[in-house]
Amino acid sequence: MSDIFPKWTNKLPAMVIVGGMLVGGVVTAGVTYYLTPKYARVGYTPVQPVAFSHAIHADQLGLDCRYCHNGVEKSWYSNVPAASTCMNCHNQVLKDDPKLALVRESAATGKPIPWVQIHKTPDFVYFNHSVHVNRGVSCVHCHGPVNKMDEVRHSKSLGMSFCLECHRDPAAKIRPNDQVFNLDWQAPEGFAKSGGAKLVKDWNVHPGESCSVCHR
Amino acid sequence: MKFIPPVCPEPETGPQYFRSPEAMANSAQLQEWAEREFPAGASELTVAESRRDFMKLMSASFMLAGFGLTGCRRPTEHIYPFGKQPEGYIHGIAQHFATAMPTRTGAIPLLAKSSDGRPTKVEPNPLHPDQAGTDQFAQASVLGLYDPDRAQHFKKDGKIAKRVEALDALALISKSAAANGGRGLAIIAESNSSPTRARLQAAISAKFPNSVWANYDAVDSTIHTQAASLVSGKQVTHYFKFAAAKRILSLDCDFLGSEDEMYRYTRDFAKGRKISKPDSAQGFELISRLYTVESLMTLTGFSADHRVRVAPSQVAAVAAQLAAEVLKQGSSSASLNTVALAAGAKVDAKWISECAKDLVAHKGAALVVAGRGQPLAVHVLAHAMNEVLGAFGKTIELHDAPKSAANLAAAVGAETVVVLGANPAYTASETWNQIAKTAKTVVHLGSHEDETGKGASWHLPAAHYLESWGDARTSDGTVVAIQPLIAPLFAGLTESEVLGHLLGNPTANSYALTRETFPSLTGGALDEEKWKKFLHDGLLEGSKANAVSGSFNWTAVSTAISLATAAPAPSKDKLEVVFHRDASVDDGRYSNNGWLQELPDPITKLVWDNAVLISRETATQLGLKNGDVIAISANGRTVEGGIWIQPGMADFTLGLALGYGRKWGRIASFEDKSVGFNAYPLRTGTAGFITGASAKTTGRTHPFICTQDHWTLHGRPVVREANVDQFLKQPDFAKHMDLDGHTEFLAKNPDGSIKNIYEHPYKANPELASKSHQWGMVVDLNACTGCSACVIACQSENNIPIVGKDQVSKGREMHWMRIDRYYAADPKKKPQGGTVDAFLSNATGSQGNPNTVNLVERDELQATKKWIDDPQVVTQPMMCQHCESAPCESVCPVNATAHDDEGLNVMAYNRCVGTRYCANNCAWKVRRFNFFDFNKRPIGGGKMADTFFKLDIGLYKGPAGVRPGDEVDIISMARNPDVTVRMRGVMEKCTFCQQRIEGAKISQKVKAGASNDVVVKEGAIQTACQQACPAGAITFGNILDPNSAVSKLKQQDRNYSVLGFLDNKPRTTYLARIRNLNPLMPDAKIWTVEEYRSISDPHFMAEPAAEGAKKGVKH
Repeated sequence: MSDIFPKWTNKLPAMVIVGGMLVGGVVTAGVTYYLTPKYARVGYTPVQPVAFSHAIHADQLGLDCRYCHNGVEKSWYSNVPAASTCMNCHNQVLKDDPKLALVRESAATGKPIPWVQIHKTPDFVYFNHSVHVNRGVSCVHCHGPVNKMDEVRHSKSLGMSFCLECHRDPAAKIRPNDQVFNLDWQAPEGFAKSGGAKLVKDWNVHPGESCSVCHR
Repeated sequence: MKFIPPVCPEPETGPQYFRSPEAMANSAQLQEWAEREFPAGASELTVAESRRDFMKLMSASFMLAGFGLTGCRRPTEHIYPFGKQPEGYIHGIAQHFATAMPTRTGAIPLLAKSSDGRPTKVEPNPLHPDQAGTDQFAQASVLGLYDPDRAQHFKKDGKIAKRVEALDALALISKSAAANGGRGLAIIAESNSSPTRARLQAAISAKFPNSVWANYDAVDSTIHTQAASLVSGKQVTHYFKFAAAKRILSLDCDFLGSEDEMYRYTRDFAKGRKISKPDSAQGFELISRLYTVESLMTLTGFSADHRVRVAPSQVAAVAAQLAAEVLKQGSSSASLNTVALAAGAKVDAKWISECAKDLVAHKGAALVVAGRGQPLAVHVLAHAMNEVLGAFGKTIELHDAPKSAANLAAAVGAETVVVLGANPAYTASETWNQIAKTAKTVVHLGSHEDETGKGASWHLPAAHYLESWGDARTSDGTVVAIQPLIAPLFAGLTESEVLGHLLGNPTANSYALTRETFPSLTGGALDEEKWKKFLHDGLLEGSKANAVSGSFNWTAVSTAISLATAAPAPSKDKLEVVFHRDASVDDGRYSNNGWLQELPDPITKLVWDNAVLISRETATQLGLKNGDVIAISANGRTVEGGIWIQPGMADFTLGLALGYGRKWGRIASFEDKSVGFNAYPLRTGTAGFITGASAKTTGRTHPFICTQDHWTLHGRPVVREANVDQFLKQPDFAKHMDLDGHTEFLAKNPDGSIKNIYEHPYKANPELASKSHQWGMVVDLNACTGCSACVIACQSENNIPIVGKDQVSKGREMHWMRIDRYYAADPKKKPQGGTVDAFLSNATGSQGNPNTVNLVERDELQATKKWIDDPQVVTQPMMCQHCESAPCESVCPVNATAHDDEGLNVMAYNRCVGTRYCANNCAWKVRRFNFFDFNKRPIGGGKMADTFFKLDIGLYKGPAGVRPGDEVDIISMARNPDVTVRMRGVMEKCTFCQQRIEGAKISQKVKAGASNDVVVKEGAIQTACQQACPAGAITFGNILDPNSAVSKLKQQDRNYSVLGFLDNKPRTTYLARIRNLNPLMPDAKIWTVEEYRSISDPHFMAEPAAEGAKKGVKH
């Protein structure tokens, strides 16, 4: 009877357990990495219909973010500018450049330019730009160094844990209001502990961690 | 084991509260409702499906899942910015425009919200001197704008035609009318207060002197103007000021419900009923007192202190008696011969004399109003009393009124008929048929291609008021602006544009026409600045009408009375039928509006239906049961409808709501079955009521769906009330009713505090609570009339779907707030007389009595419980109470419902897995579950989709059920972008309008910038229900601020919590209702606080006998 189950079968339970743990571990690791925004969104760099470079406009030329995204301080939504805004300069500068044909056409006909959306929160999240940029949260925290990007790339995960990181400890990320649109601003050494904490106290900052803050 | 809640039997003695007569009968079905949060079938799929169907569905689902998985990334989405930036527009910020919704007699001044170019919500205009809320129709008008069944095309003889062709046709009519002075041209329009319309109307009659202008309203209010003009000798109309009246007598006048201007009357009346402090010195003068004489149970009857029910024809007799008594006691020099008219009134003489005495004692602060449906005699009698009571100038003002136009019959014989908005083919088919017979051309301007539109030679789509330019006058005479928030979706025309074209102006547009009128309103030339301010404010300041004084014409009153004859009392064979304006569909104009159809009727709480309202006594005598379909015949015409026994109805009187039984529209004729029945064929002209009708049973029954018994509170005391004198003796009586006054019976902690089984969110961790805001709400039951405007406002604000009659019948309605209606009556009132004796004699075996033949199988309640016939009524808005120690939170397995730091009980929809434990554990029954994707799927079901799978497309069919694209697209435009549209499988409930709270907090923080001024200011947040409430019964705010309105109200003695003994600390509290019964009146059922308490206190109750109830008997 001893031949029915060969000797190696004695190790089978251990092998199953170890193997199961290995597979389970890989699956868990895979899911936590691949099925989260960290993988699924970060790095997303779609090709835009017009090869607009933030690096040229914001960094080299020093345009303020709000020149184009003028709704950001007032609305939940930070608008993509109308073609007419581009034409304020481009009716003088590079006014016959073929790369801007779509912009000129849009400004003339009103037909919108189909920009590809990069940053998007889910529909059940009610993120509000105005309240962040008016209370010391810079663009750079969520969008990364856009002023250095030729093509805009999704640089942060924008998942719920990403939001909560800051909502739980606002002092670490808050900055003076006049530096919000200065994407190159570096907090001085130890700012979070002294300056940041003071801003949080002085401005009565309670970002809130309840569901109702973002979900309605 | 299933927990069977304790039955709280009604006390043997004292008054009783009951939610409905059905609840009194304690039927098996209601037991079921009471025991289960969701009734049988609500949680299960009941539609029979074969295995084959199931396989089809599953394979479809898997296929769809396969498609979904092919792309792990989100699909590419695009942002489409403007080509040219519009000035002053910032995407994402709602804009508000002042406008107004025109009504028959005036307009409702509004502030309309535009979200990204779509009107999504209307609010009352805070600049208007009325300072009132809105009614339910105004709130639902937003959905009306996006009705996919709206007329979308210009049509000639039913075929789609070009817009220019239609305009050419109008030009042709204009040309031929100009040639012969308008001979053969008739214009039929609805009443309207627009100065521009009046100007164009005058221009028409000047240019076409031979034309006929007929005003036609299916629900006609012109009697008010007629009566006021008659008694004053001038062309005037009434302007009631209920706030100034301490004593009010209503003669079949439902001024809180179906009368026009109800929204303003409600605010005005509530002002006189609100109590700021228990001022003993004032006694019965503390609040106003309302006497009503009425035939139907109405919202006015709900609020009445003394109510007597008489058949509509008998109101004149009661009015005559009252007038005689008022004249006598008021020692008026005038005399009226009211004897003939007064004969036969069966009202207690003491009722008449004491009522008159009370009115006379309040000269200058009394008001008598007569109802729209009553004849002229009743109106002049009311005004005669007003004259004696010194009401003119004090509680009633007279304002100039335009001359009355011809009526519908004047249009008979015209060759060319232009109908502006009205729908006479449906509402007055007999007269219309005569008109249509001789008319060669019929032009119909209508919002829908309705009965009149279908038969018209030309049908022109009408622009909604949110798409039009125009003007109107509110009832106080103030000129208000109507301005569009969106270009006409279907290229519709306004009334003024059609009139402009008829006047020969080929480029008539409503903007120019309204602007042309403006100088005549301001005087002088057009002032651009004034015009801009007019559009900004939505009203023309200082345009309020001046009160007109006239000498009272007693001779005219006498003549009018002598022309009236006393009507014989109705009987079993000579019934009277009242035609009333429906609280959901008005005269039928809103019958395709799903929000209104699903709004439980404020009186009956029926949805998706109208009923033949009938009193218990009448039904019993006719041998009818609730739901029996009867055929009502009068003057050779017959209408069939199901009966609904309504407490408080006058005997031998039937109440028929107008506006149902349509043959078109996906809501009005849901799944090709008319909703309700059409009552118009029975009516003669625009009469308010008819007499001499007979009824016989058809042997069929009609299933009614009444929501009052859904979400029952097991008979526990939730409404608290007292009479003024009781209240003044013990102002904090409400705090001591129910178990609140008996904490000795509650479980205690070792330290003596009440033991609460539910966790308090902040007690252990006070740092979790916000120091800036804690939200709370107070509802004043003394102000609430039960009109239900708040329910629609909530639906509009919070993207609440409708579910259809079938789903409501399963208890799946989604309304976040409901208006509970409680009847209170005294069983000590001995049942005797009429059918009661007949029943009892039958029960003892004396067969052969003809009255008893039909009674054998009727239940005892219907025959004997006479005491339920004259109930007192309380209405109570009920929504999430936002308990601090919330029972729902502790049972949620996934933490989807939790407390936030500002005291809100919040729902995270994307966490909810749909266990529904929370709803089961909620003692207030305010949570609603999305059983289906009501937003995406077609409600109802059963229609075959012409797709590969050939499946039904109803709610039950999962992903295979798809709503027609046009419907989804257009109805989605009505959605509030600030609120999540919930999907299937999640729980939802009132959020205290969280989006408004967060919005206010964010704008305060944006304003604060680099400062600490982040606390939201008082008044910055109004919840949707609060804002719409015409009575101002709801107050919301920050309870951390001791000066906020809500904190002050919570300090009042009357403040109490519903089910407060559970110690869940609800954030929504109620102010107890105070009645003002006159102790001298014969029907004054002044109950003591102890008696009211006996209704509520479990200690007054006998041990429940029911087997299952034993477990829960000790609270």
